[in-house]
Amino acid sequence: MKNPERTGIFFYNPQSIIPDPIDYSELVRYVLTFPNVSRIWQYHDFTWNEKNIVSKIEENSIDILIIAGNLPGTVKTLFSKSMAIAGKRPDKVLLASFNDYCTGTSVNMDRLKSVLATLIANLSYELTAIPEENPVNNTTLVIGGGITGIQAALEIAYSNNIVYLVEKTGTIGGKMATFDKTFPTLDCAACILTPKMVEVNQNPNIKLMTYCEVQEVSGEAGNFSVRILRKARKVNVQTCIGCGTCAEKCPAQSPSEFDAGTTMRKAIYIPFPQAVPNKYLIDSGSCIYLKTGKCRACIKACPVPDCINLDEQDQEVTINVGNIIVATGFKPFDAKKMVQFGYGKYPNVLTSLEFERILNASGPTGGNIHFRSQDKKGNWIFTTESEKPEKIAIIHCVGSRDKNYNRYCSRVCCMYSLKFSHLILEKLSNAEVFEYFIDMRSFGKGYEEFYERIREEGVSMIRGKTAKVEEINGKLMIRGEDILRSEIIENIVDMVVLSVGLEPGEDTEKLSKMLGIPISEGGWFGEMHYNIDPTGTVRGGIIIAGVCQGPKDIPDSVAQGSAAAARVIQSILRGKVYLDTCGIPLEKIENRIRELSPVNE
Amino acid sequence: MSTRLQPELRNQLMQYGIGDWNACYHCGTCTAICPLSEKGFLFPRKKIRLMQMGLKNEIESSVEPWLCYYCGDCTNTCPRDANPGELMMSLRRYLTAIYDWTGLSRKFYTSKIWELGFILVFAALVIIAFLVLLPSMGYTLNKELTDEGGVKINSFAPINIIETFDWTMAIVVAGLLISNILRMYYKIIWKHGNTKVTAWVHIREFWRLVFNFAVQPKFGKCEDKRYWVSHWLLMSGYTIMFIVIVVYLPWFQTEKILPAWHPQRILGYYATFGLLIGLFVAITGRMRRKDVKFYFSHVSDWLFLVMLTLTVITGILIHIFRINGMPYATYISYITHMTVLVPMILIEVPFSKWSHLAYRPFAIYFQHLKRYAVPRKTKHL
Repeated sequence: MKNPERTGIFFYNPQSIIPDPIDYSELVRYVLTFPNVSRIWQYHDFTWNEKNIVSKIEENSIDILIIAGNLPGTVKTLFSKSMAIAGKRPDKVLLASFNDYCTGTSVNMDRLKSVLATLIANLSYELTAIPEENPVNNTTLVIGGGITGIQAALEIAYSNNIVYLVEKTGTIGGKMATFDKTFPTLDCAACILTPKMVEVNQNPNIKLMTYCEVQEVSGEAGNFSVRILRKARKVNVQTCIGCGTCAEKCPAQSPSEFDAGTTMRKAIYIPFPQAVPNKYLIDSGSCIYLKTGKCRACIKACPVPDCINLDEQDQEVTINVGNIIVATGFKPFDAKKMVQFGYGKYPNVLTSLEFERILNASGPTGGNIHFRSQDKKGNWIFTTESEKPEKIAIIHCVGSRDKNYNRYCSRVCCMYSLKFSHLILEKLSNAEVFEYFIDMRSFGKGYEEFYERIREEGVSMIRGKTAKVEEINGKLMIRGEDILRSEIIENIVDMVVLSVGLEPGEDTEKLSKMLGIPISEGGWFGEMHYNIDPTGTVRGGIIIAGVCQGPKDIPDSVAQGSAAAARVIQSILRGKVYLDTCGIPLEKIENRIRELSPVNE
Repeated sequence: MSTRLQPELRNQLMQYGIGDWNACYHCGTCTAICPLSEKGFLFPRKKIRLMQMGLKNEIESSVEPWLCYYCGDCTNTCPRDANPGELMMSLRRYLTAIYDWTGLSRKFYTSKIWELGFILVFAALVIIAFLVLLPSMGYTLNKELTDEGGVKINSFAPINIIETFDWTMAIVVAGLLISNILRMYYKIIWKHGNTKVTAWVHIREFWRLVFNFAVQPKFGKCEDKRYWVSHWLLMSGYTIMFIVIVVYLPWFQTEKILPAWHPQRILGYYATFGLLIGLFVAITGRMRRKDVKFYFSHVSDWLFLVMLTLTVITGILIHIFRINGMPYATYISYITHMTVLVPMILIEVPFSKWSHLAYRPFAIYFQHLKRYAVPRKTKHL
């Protein structure tokens, strides 16, 4: 070529910001073997500002500029601007983002080199990196027994393939099981979920593994070997008749996980009345026998011989599967972090999950809204004996859209808060409800109409987040600005509900290392492509679905569960599964680049 | 009348401070958390909105930036890292530049070269005056000591000439400052729409000006009272020094060494103590950067602090050298003292950071005038 396009590479490796295991010197040596790479710079070579970069571009007459490193997109604008100032094409700034590809477990230098090589050849990575295929094992593993996992497991089971559904807690159902109603249709959540849960239990294709945790995943797509820890349930699931005599006699108590801590459960318990499997289990943390070696009240009470075995130990099971669906969901934001709202300090400041249980007919107050009050021992509990609140405020965006906590919008809080307003007015028709919101995000089908309906019901919508909640004479004072009027309002209410956002589940990081899938911004699992492959991951045979990929509501989670199942069924029908896109040898990619690049004159 | 939006104002304001104010999504947390925000005079969110929309006239006619004492609560709680506290600080700098009719203030805030250049020119003039002008008039170094062993300072820096100079400087600075305050009054009260303030209200509310100048009660409303105390010590120390130097110089700059309990020395010591405490807090705070208010110090802030510190230190040295009879050291300290002091007063008081000594109390006075403003009678045709 007469005027070869000169490529310059900037390595964005500010070690001070993110500890970086990548060996940049090796990458530098590699890229310098390309004839059209005229110069490379590292982050510490000079101060990265417009003036310096423009001078570097001009000095070396760079036509194409590649930024390579972890999160190179953060500095892209700077480079595009500099290119424009230098009189070059600003769209010729290419990103070689390393953390998008296979940085979950170990650094794959071949992969990083091939990303750079394709960019230097001005080709798209998807064209050069076509992964190989493996024969697939028809068995599938679903991690997480929430609505997404249930949906995915059922879809696969209907296609007559075996599914292992692994759930960490004692029952499937996940967070949806704790909800009272769904928005915007106001369906009873339990009524639409429990039939599915029962179906999971009854379908012979689904091997349900509750109270189990995935310990290790080895092998590759098509044939994974998964080591699963079967935590000691200490109650025989086959023989337990679920009569409940044991729990009656059990002296140990612990806050109920299912009721978000609003009620107490025994150490031997069923998570909730409709649990699947509807069998008891023993919480080793609170059991008195396991702590002191004395008690055994449950064994004495149990009518079935040898059903309870307090000395049962954890077991490990290894299964072989072809595909893995990850549907681990979320955990709610810890509202205690935002001290200004007084959660944990004032008894009648509740989180949304707690309030969800208060509204639920199977919750501590039988679905009636009552104050949290002190019992004789001085513990704060919910009972139907205490009075009913008259003024309830709901504060949106707690822990979301806040750079001090989580930057992202949790996507569901606006709508569930509106649902709360409706349910409050349904249960306490004289109550006054205040919604403190910043922006109302009613983006889905029927959501805007739902918002309209709630407003018509007489809920006071106040635009403006609150600055603080304080207790004054046993009531809660909310201080905030009414943005539309530009006035401070100090509103005195009886109860405050904090619409907490969603955060990635506790085990997200552990699983990301175990499965070798990256974590994207916000801590959620990183998908293959945001738009056209939201359930795929960089590892072949590993599929993400539901909230663990990013905050979403129930319909979207269910849709993703089905989508994930479709990918599995597709690979089973084809008999093959694509291998990791990051496992392709460098040599192969280089050959492919040579094939695809225009012939040099 | 329609409102003209000037989004380019944002870029102009960026020269006066740092902040990501476009990030604000108007949740109102800053206004609600602010202990100083009050009915009718809400900030900082409203000011951010004005800035985002580029409503120049409304920004120029607002008193709110002067009601903020930068405790940093807004910036700490801001969910967007939009830095409302620094916006208020930048608006104060911007308004100082707007009130100033000479246009020098804008130059000083936006260009380091202009500010440093002017300081150096004034400093050079002072040095020339001491090394060329005064010796030519017959005032030279005098090694003789007084009977008590003190330095004969008036033979070197003649009291009458220095006093005349002080008065001239004070009148020039006051003239500039007063004319700027009149512009401020015009922008905030006079030009303001369809309301007017009666003469009686002007008189009745005047005490607020004096009271707020002397005590800064608003600063005391911020959560951390230490800054109020240190600021008050600095302010009172400075005011005493200023009055003593300009009005009572013959009483203050004496050759006779007065006893330690004499009001001259006690006032001097108190002023020095107050200035030192205030400066210590301001400088160490800016160096440690623990509180938000010190995160984004502007060049002009630093320049002011450094110059004031130098002035105080040289002032202390003059005193020590004088009473211990060290003529050369005294004269060198005296020249250095004046070299720093003169540009500091000429630059900082009317044009820069220090002008807040007048703008803040006046803003509170104007705030109360605004509060009692009555609608103007419209002529019916």
